[in-house]
Amino acid sequence: MAEFGLLCLALAAAPSADGAWCGIAGIPEAGVLAAAALGLDAGRTLLVPEPGPSWPQVVASLLDGCELVLLRPPARASAQVRQRLEATLRRGRGVLLVAGDWPGAQLRLRVASQRWTGLGDGHGRLRACCAEVTADGRGEAAVTRTRWLWLPGEDGGVAVADPRNLPFDLLQTPAAPALRAVSG
Amino acid sequence: MVVTCPDLHSANLSADPDIQTARRHEQMIAAVTGFCPDVEVVEPGVCAFGARGPARYFGGETALAARIIAALADLGLAGRVGVADGLFAALLAARDGTIVSPGGTAKFLGAQPVSVLADHGLAAQDLAAQDLAAQDLAALLVRLGLHTLADFAALPVRDVASRFGDAGEGAHQLARGLDSRPLATRPPPAELSVAHRFDPPEPRAEPVVFAAKALAGRLHDALAARGLTCVRVQVKATWADGQESSRRWRHDGLLSAAAVADRVRWQLDGWQPAPPDDGKPPGDNKTADDENIPGGIVALRLVPDLLVRATGQQLALWGETLVSDQVARAAMRVQAMLGHEAVLRPVLGGGRNAGDQVTPIPFGEKTEPRLPAGRPWPGRVRGAAPGLVFPAAREAEVTDDAGRAVTVSGRCAVSAAPARLAVRGDPPRRITGWAGPWPLSERWWDPSAARRRARFQLVTEDGRAWLAVVEDGRWLVEAGYWLIGLG
Repeated sequence: MAEFGLLCLALAAAPSADGAWCGIAGIPEAGVLAAAALGLDAGRTLLVPEPGPSWPQVVASLLDGCELVLLRPPARASAQVRQRLEATLRRGRGVLLVAGDWPGAQLRLRVASQRWTGLGDGHGRLRACCAEVTADGRGEAAVTRTRWLWLPGEDGGVAVADPRNLPFDLLQTPAAPALRAVSG
Repeated sequence: MVVTCPDLHSANLSADPDIQTARRHEQMIAAVTGFCPDVEVVEPGVCAFGARGPARYFGGETALAARIIAALADLGLAGRVGVADGLFAALLAARDGTIVSPGGTAKFLGAQPVSVLADHGLAAQDLAAQDLAAQDLAALLVRLGLHTLADFAALPVRDVASRFGDAGEGAHQLARGLDSRPLATRPPPAELSVAHRFDPPEPRAEPVVFAAKALAGRLHDALAARGLTCVRVQVKATWADGQESSRRWRHDGLLSAAAVADRVRWQLDGWQPAPPDDGKPPGDNKTADDENIPGGIVALRLVPDLLVRATGQQLALWGETLVSDQVARAAMRVQAMLGHEAVLRPVLGGGRNAGDQVTPIPFGEKTEPRLPAGRPWPGRVRGAAPGLVFPAAREAEVTDDAGRAVTVSGRCAVSAAPARLAVRGDPPRRITGWAGPWPLSERWWDPSAARRRARFQLVTEDGRAWLAVVEDGRWLVEAGYWLIGLG
């Protein structure tokens, strides 16, 4: 159940809104409604909730048709499988987003902390989430960058948050790093 | 001329779906069709056709009847043949295998007892399912002293119509031999499936796919010649060891021969998951192909499924996302590997619960949400939608500061502020914020589908938020709000 969350869907939403097809493999709990609120076009989305043991072939097939494939590997990907999928990526025009660990990814995104607003002690409702997202990777992305993001914001979209104007005290935020990898 | 098979006739096919009987019925019709192509199937085990032409060809009605009985005997069926002018008289003649000579029908009919009006299936059919009325009529005629059809037919039409109504008038027409409606013959069922046999068995996929392209071309030509198209096409491949792979592919008249061949290729590829090291192109690696196709393929068959009239295809002008060939190809290849239900397209709809608002529909089927959008759906959770909707709700325990389970009363009063959330399989988390309960009572009018539940939103110390539900005193976690799994 780990490693997948709204950030993956938000990354898929922008290309989908621009007309790209998006495949989601191995993530039966993907909240399509939340993704649609961020811009994902559900009509151009393919779900393969259970890709099974032959998931590398499934992902390779999806990459033939979809510009973007969001994957949580059902099993740990061996170096050989990773190399073959990366070769598929180089041949085609697709992007593979992996929820989980993927050594050698072009770009990795981490969430250092996240905090929901809008909920009190017995009242209110979840309104927006403020998160500190860190990106690093290889090549051009080698410099580590950190941004505070509203994801989703009050209006349902994604926005950059001003760290001086956060709705909570920075020092109290729990810092539990998580890894996720983006290969493209 | 009427041919009956009493064995099949007594079995009521519509009430008793016995495949064996239905198959024997089809065999019988096929055998009769061999003598005359235009055959009307009157009832299970009973068929009729115009005898004049075939009788002349086969050398007389008696000779034709003998040939048909012999052909049915070859199938193990005891058949009877009756010949007379008109369907009703011929059906009566077939009961004892009489061949009424031309012009003798009036005499033959006149000698029959009036009870034939009641117990003959044709009477019910022609009198528009007034079987009971026909029985009553026959009994009444006997009580009136009219014992044969000749007696009945001798009555004036006007008197019969005024005394017995429509049913009586219809029966009177039958008795006078005036049932001469033309036979509703069916054209012989065309065998539209195409097959190719491989001798010796073909161990490689490429030649099979190549043959499939030619087969699909033949199939399309045959369908086009009849102005038909098929909704689906079934691809059956038989291996030398007797295994068979059968799969239906959506066709809708849109697939070219090459596209059908592609589907055959995917089906063969997906039949056994390819070994993980087959990154090489096919052809130069014969052993991998041999593993794909155990023992080789002996036969490939394409069967059109659900024939419909070809009316052409018109795409919607607006509001329909076009699925490009490339995407359809990718989706169908995955379907070939994992099955039709494995590739889904989400359709947004309405609903009150987190899981209701998205309907997953197998790729290639009509996309329509289960619950319509655009209705108010009072009671749904407002605000940001959860990024994770668990396919099966996860069991959880929610306790207060003192460690007691938090309960919700029938009037939606919470026993204490929730303080700890323990989702099954995860360590307990401290709750830093909560809201609820939001009650939801669905379908109270239907005891089997009624649900009463109270929803909460919870935020825990690790920055995650949860959508929790209390139902029948149990806590369930339906959805989660977080950007990434923090551990």
